Amino acid sequence: MATQSTFLDTNELVLNMGPQHPSTHGVLRVILRLDGEKVLGTECVIGYLHRGVEKIAENRTYQQFAPYVDRMDYVAAVSNGLGYCMAVEALGGVEIPERAQCVRVILTELNRIASHLLWLGTHALDIGAMTPVFYCFREREEVLKIFEKYCGARLTTHSFRIGGLQYETYDTFEKDCHTFCDWFEKKVDEYEELLTTNRIWVGRTKGVGILNAEACKAYGVTGPVLRAAGVEWDLRKAQPYCGYEKYDFDIPTCQNGDTYDRYIVRMQEFRQSVRIIRQAVDSLPEGPIKGKVSKVYKPPIGEAYVSIEAPKGELGYYVVSDGSTQPYRLRVRPPSLVNLQALDEMCRGALVADVVAIIGTIDIVLGEVDR
Amino acid sequence: MEEILNSPYLHPVIATLLIVAVFPLVAGYIVLAERKVLADIQVRLGPMRVGPYGFLQPLADAVKLLLKEDIIPTAADKWIFWGAPVLSTFTALTAFAVMPFSDKFYVADVNIGILFILAMSSLGVLGLILGGWSSNSKYSLLGALRSAAQLVSYEVPLGFTIVTALMITETLSMQGIVQSQLDKGIWIAFSNYGLMLVPAMVFLIAAFAETNRAPFDLPEAESEIVAGFHTEYSGFRFALYFLAEYASIFVICGIAITVFFGGWLRPFPNIAFLELPLNVAFPMLLLLAIGGGCALGATRVSLAYEKAIMGVLALTMFLVAAMFAVPMLNELIIGFFWFLFKVLTLIYVFIWVRGTFPRFRYDQLMQVGWKYLIPISMGALVVNGIVLLFTS
Amino acid sequence: MKEFLKAIFLVDLFQGLAVTFRNQKPSLVCTEQYPKERPAIAERYRGAPRLNVHPDTDQTLCIACNLCALACPEQLIVVGAERNKETRRKELTTFIYDTSRCMFCGLCEDACPVDALELTQDFELASYTREGAIWDRQMLEEGPLPTEYKH
Repeated sequence: MATQSTFLDTNELVLNMGPQHPSTHGVLRVILRLDGEKVLGTECVIGYLHRGVEKIAENRTYQQFAPYVDRMDYVAAVSNGLGYCMAVEALGGVEIPERAQCVRVILTELNRIASHLLWLGTHALDIGAMTPVFYCFREREEVLKIFEKYCGARLTTHSFRIGGLQYETYDTFEKDCHTFCDWFEKKVDEYEELLTTNRIWVGRTKGVGILNAEACKAYGVTGPVLRAAGVEWDLRKAQPYCGYEKYDFDIPTCQNGDTYDRYIVRMQEFRQSVRIIRQAVDSLPEGPIKGKVSKVYKPPIGEAYVSIEAPKGELGYYVVSDGSTQPYRLRVRPPSLVNLQALDEMCRGALVADVVAIIGTIDIVLGEVDR
Repeated sequence: MEEILNSPYLHPVIATLLIVAVFPLVAGYIVLAERKVLADIQVRLGPMRVGPYGFLQPLADAVKLLLKEDIIPTAADKWIFWGAPVLSTFTALTAFAVMPFSDKFYVADVNIGILFILAMSSLGVLGLILGGWSSNSKYSLLGALRSAAQLVSYEVPLGFTIVTALMITETLSMQGIVQSQLDKGIWIAFSNYGLMLVPAMVFLIAAFAETNRAPFDLPEAESEIVAGFHTEYSGFRFALYFLAEYASIFVICGIAITVFFGGWLRPFPNIAFLELPLNVAFPMLLLLAIGGGCALGATRVSLAYEKAIMGVLALTMFLVAAMFAVPMLNELIIGFFWFLFKVLTLIYVFIWVRGTFPRFRYDQLMQVGWKYLIPISMGALVVNGIVLLFTS
Repeated sequence: MKEFLKAIFLVDLFQGLAVTFRNQKPSLVCTEQYPKERPAIAERYRGAPRLNVHPDTDQTLCIACNLCALACPEQLIVVGAERNKETRRKELTTFIYDTSRCMFCGLCEDACPVDALELTQDFELASYTREGAIWDRQMLEEGPLPTEYKH
């Protein structure tokens, strides 16, 4: 290629994929350094959605803060609530009754399905397939209907309370869950038919955005991204919580750590979640739904860190109590933020059109990244 | 007066005026059909508010585009900025001049018809490049160049497959191509012991790329950073590009139908006993079914003017269906019916494919064109030629 | 060999086309044409707040205990009460609820001991002004009255 310097000169070009962009899944700003079509490096600028949630926590009582955690990962709000309640309960040493644990598991797994459905729809839309998003949202609608019937809200559910649950399950809860599981499994087959072997999809996702196991461990990446790289690490099996040890399910893993593998891992997670929901609904025990918790909750002085397997990775809550009704410090370990660190490594050497696919495959939610 | 009526230019001029006047409306309704079909595939409803079942949506879109502010970038080259969409529309609409709508309705039967259309579509690429260049924006130009490279690369397999078909028809004239299919009694796509299916498929795939449709629509995709060549265009100029795009879709489908799928012929054109069921019964039943659907729709809408529109549509369909029963009228319009039916079916396939597949990345797009389609079309040309040589 | 044939005959592409073709059945359309068709809201939906009144006596059920105001994370409830001289009980005078800052979390509803404050199934709460979103006792008892949609 000639070295004429015209305005099309391909020295390093700095391109800004601004906060307003149809494919950055929120207000994420990515500054790309390009050499022609290839990406030399990326830099993420975050903070456009920072709302000071952790600071707000210092001025609210433990029960009052529970609705705020839903707003962080707003796509999968139930997991946030689960992590928070478990952290605060660990701080105060509260026992959760069996029935509450079982219902928590059911709702959390439904929430995992809903989160992965949104991921699949938007990821496919970024790559150009414009129909899976509508199919996924139709399925997500059914999950949100169950949430609405149970706790009264679809997105920011505030479904769990410290000590257990607020609401008893409604009459047709078990039937709804079973109907949903049966119907949904056929839909997963449909998505696989539409995308998994499609040569255009495979061409766009195989070999794109590879993150191998060592890099994952070095960055601290967790969740489906880690499992797609071959590391069989799932907190539900490694450090079981909330009664997960009672249920029989597998951890899907893949070998290469590219975008296609992450897609396969999340599709398998759909099926495993359905398995867990079926087992949990069938084994739903009778009993109280809330443990012994005083109205004015004052945990003893101390700290607790509890992490759960959220749909996006390891979601951790670190709560420090100074003996009063309000936490002294609450720190959230957002999986999306930690996973986003690996964007630079995944994008090295990729083409510009792949950056969008890679951002989609990490599955970030800016509410969680910025809090 | 008699001179005018007997003039050989009368027929072409009237046909041209008819096509140029009617086509924008047709393009608008193809857009509506695309939105409704895509909505069906995506389990939703599509436009429903403007008119009954969204039927007047194209009029609303046209009014909106015409009333928009005409923005020209300050540093843009004004005349080329004005001329680029005009060029695109001009080349797309000129190709209609040789399109054989039926054995009686066409503008001109040039003896190099296919060559003329291919030349026009190649010229259309210039409209794209000029549009991107005159916008005076780095990204518009890059998008235009990529789009142009895509179009030019896919014209090669397009040409090869048409040449393969021309070996059978032995004429370049569009009417002649259809006539040769009538003489042989079989559509070209299925002739030569089914070996012509390969060029037909290659043509269809190249057609998606030629019209910048999914899965080859990367230059137009919004999730791409480099925006397309028509970013700086708004209002009526954008409407012209839009019109040019849908006109070129119609033209490419028209070429595919004419060259590979029989043009205005019915299926099995030489088998006499199929004339009644295919030429009379099928159009009548189809139009009666559509009319019945419109009538059913009329009962379901709530407002008076919506009911009136659906009723008028139903009556029109019934009237046209009745026309097919009269042998004299049937002869006049049956060619046009089959042409339109086949083109609309192919346009439906275009929309169906758009709704199903993700899009190719740019390098994969060029790979498919150069590493797969061109060798396959060249190979098909050679194989078909050899088979033809030994069987004729 | 089978893979090669599948690749040549574009089997995976036709499979995808079959899926989208199947989904074109009109019965599968799940669009609700709001506002002509109203959505089905669950019973427990946390929507617009309402101050319940006793069905027979038409007197408010609220005992002005202020528990809802204490429970609210955003402190957007202000309960005004005065002590009745005869019965020595607190009676409700004013009740201000700021729906513009409310996140509909339901903590106030959970805190109310007499089921006076309830989050209903109304979700059409739009107002033209910020002040219009601050509801007083009368609006809380009547509920939002959205304009009837005319075609």
